[in-house]
Amino acid sequence: MEHQRWRPTVNERDFIERALQSDLRVDGRRPFDFRRLKILFGREDGSAEVQLGETRVMGYVTAQLVQPYKDRPNEGTLAIFTEFSPMADPAFEPGRPGESAIELGRVIDRGLRESRAVDMESLCVVAGRHVWSVRVDLHILDNGGNLIDTANIAALAALSTFRRPECTVGGDDGQQVTVHDPEVRDPIPLTIHHLPIAVTFAYFGEGNIMVIDPTYKEEAVMGGRMTATINSNGDVCAIQKAGGEGVMSSVIMQCLRIASVKAADITSKIKNEVTSYTSAKALQKVKRLPASVLKKDSVPVVAMKGSADGALETQSTKASSEVQQISKGDEDHQNIKRNSSLTVDRTSKHKQTSKFIGGPSNWDPYSKGVSLSSLRISQLPEPPPTVKDNKQEDVEPMLTECNPEVQSESRLTAGGSDETQAVSPKSLKDAVKPKHKRKKKQHNKS
Amino acid sequence: MESRKPPPSALVDNHVVPGDIVLDLTEMINQTIKLGAGLRQDCDTIQATSAGKLRLSKPSKYWIESSQKRYIPSVEDTVLGVVVDTKPDNFLVDIKGPNLAFLPVLAFEGGTRRNIPKFEIGTLIYARVVKANSIMNPELSCMDATGKAAEFGQLKDGYMFETSTGLSRMLLSSPTCPVLEALGKKLSFEIAVGLNGRVWVNAPSPSNVIVVSNAIIKSESLSGIGQRSMVESLLERLS
Repeated sequence: MEHQRWRPTVNERDFIERALQSDLRVDGRRPFDFRRLKILFGREDGSAEVQLGETRVMGYVTAQLVQPYKDRPNEGTLAIFTEFSPMADPAFEPGRPGESAIELGRVIDRGLRESRAVDMESLCVVAGRHVWSVRVDLHILDNGGNLIDTANIAALAALSTFRRPECTVGGDDGQQVTVHDPEVRDPIPLTIHHLPIAVTFAYFGEGNIMVIDPTYKEEAVMGGRMTATINSNGDVCAIQKAGGEGVMSSVIMQCLRIASVKAADITSKIKNEVTSYTSAKALQKVKRLPASVLKKDSVPVVAMKGSADGALETQSTKASSEVQQISKGDEDHQNIKRNSSLTVDRTSKHKQTSKFIGGPSNWDPYSKGVSLSSLRISQLPEPPPTVKDNKQEDVEPMLTECNPEVQSESRLTAGGSDETQAVSPKSLKDAVKPKHKRKKKQHNKS
Repeated sequence: MESRKPPPSALVDNHVVPGDIVLDLTEMINQTIKLGAGLRQDCDTIQATSAGKLRLSKPSKYWIESSQKRYIPSVEDTVLGVVVDTKPDNFLVDIKGPNLAFLPVLAFEGGTRRNIPKFEIGTLIYARVVKANSIMNPELSCMDATGKAAEFGQLKDGYMFETSTGLSRMLLSSPTCPVLEALGKKLSFEIAVGLNGRVWVNAPSPSNVIVVSNAIIKSESLSGIGQRSMVESLLERLS
């Protein structure tokens, strides 16, 4: 049985046109309202599913290294592929792409490529040899009308979250390309200069009535259609007006004004969704940090970390390691307040010195799977000796410049405190000593 | 599963999924049962082949009611069909089923060869299924069993929208569905519901048609109280 595009009944056709005469649309919208836009992101970077009312489109971005075109040796490539599944609409035939599939692909391709929205030159690795070829796959999951706009948003959302693996050029001849694993080096986002948003208008009744974002039924009834691709700055990137009723140039100008307003709305919506997704993604990475730090540190530090968590999470990993170093001083105080005996104090001193080289030890791969709560419980008593040993082992190979200084100082002060205890209660040395040293001395006396 | 239950099946009015054993025939000797949609005999058991609620019409008719977008025709259902083609003897009508339905040109009240109605393609028709089996195209009629027109026939003006079969069954249930009752208190409108998941609404002003149709579409997943409050808030926003 051949499947044609669904045709509306006489009743629907008449009613839709009659309602539009009085600025009413069958789904209760006003003529220049978009349907509800929902953007979802997949687990992997570079995949997005966009819902516009009942229309659903999934975008998926991939990249691979290829040889560039001869005429553009230092530019990457961007290609759009569309997949119209018969599940979305029985009118779509499996296999051969239909007329609408080709039109949709070309309109989106034109909007993205001609406006140079994606920076192509940054996709070049070795000029004339290796460039990144970015491929955008658009899968139509459900056809509820206005596929072009939905697919365009899906493509933009997927491109904005896409990360390509970092690669470096090296080797003997300087032509060897090494692609780094995403686990080793953080993948790089694409450079996107602006977001060209497609806004589709449908014309009814000799071009007098126009609506934005037509539904499936309205598309079946409409006399003509125009898609304007425009960015939030108001630059027109592409216009598609294929057949149908003729439209006055003044109407087109009016359409472009409306489109630029809508484009700004949609751009901010996409950007919000993308930033919330990327920050959630970054948060997932940072969450590992407290667990790995816990294993290495002594008890008071656990408490510190717990309270500082909230602040740490929002920052990047680099920033958090800085914060950790800054907070060292406070930890110092706490350690000494709690531990009354001098020997214990000394061990904690060692721990601190070891922590100064803490940068790399944050990313201890062996402590990833340890849960935070279990660590808290197990480490509440005095730090086990094994942990201490690890510390000292760590210290030896990775000594930084400040490290020996601090260590020697700690030995010196430890010895010095014994002396002062024996000779006299007060000396010039005491006055120079930092505050916590004095406190410690008081403990010794009592 | 629960094959030791005596008839009628304990699953009546409960949800079943494909593969559930609904009845055990070994315990029902000398009984006749009639099976409807979604049930199948497998040796000595009756199994469900679709998901939905098991229904029993006393004394012995079993079928499964489910909500879906496609419609499986069954006899005596009232449906809304769209004329797709006209042939000398039949109108070909789309009723959302697996096959197009035939509507004989004589199946109208007082229909003779002389006065064949003229339906253009795309006409909406309210009709009754009179023949339905899996190997033939279903047959419709625009007369009730006594040969009267009885509201069947072409529907003029108004707006038609598609729903699931579950929603259209809910709209036809008695007592009157809450959403229709709440709407009917405030607005006047005409409605025709086909069991194949098509609803036609007509009212004097287009805005009322739009309100009613959107309220019905939204009511699909709402409870009775939810439907009433939804309709009230919708009408408040308009006035």
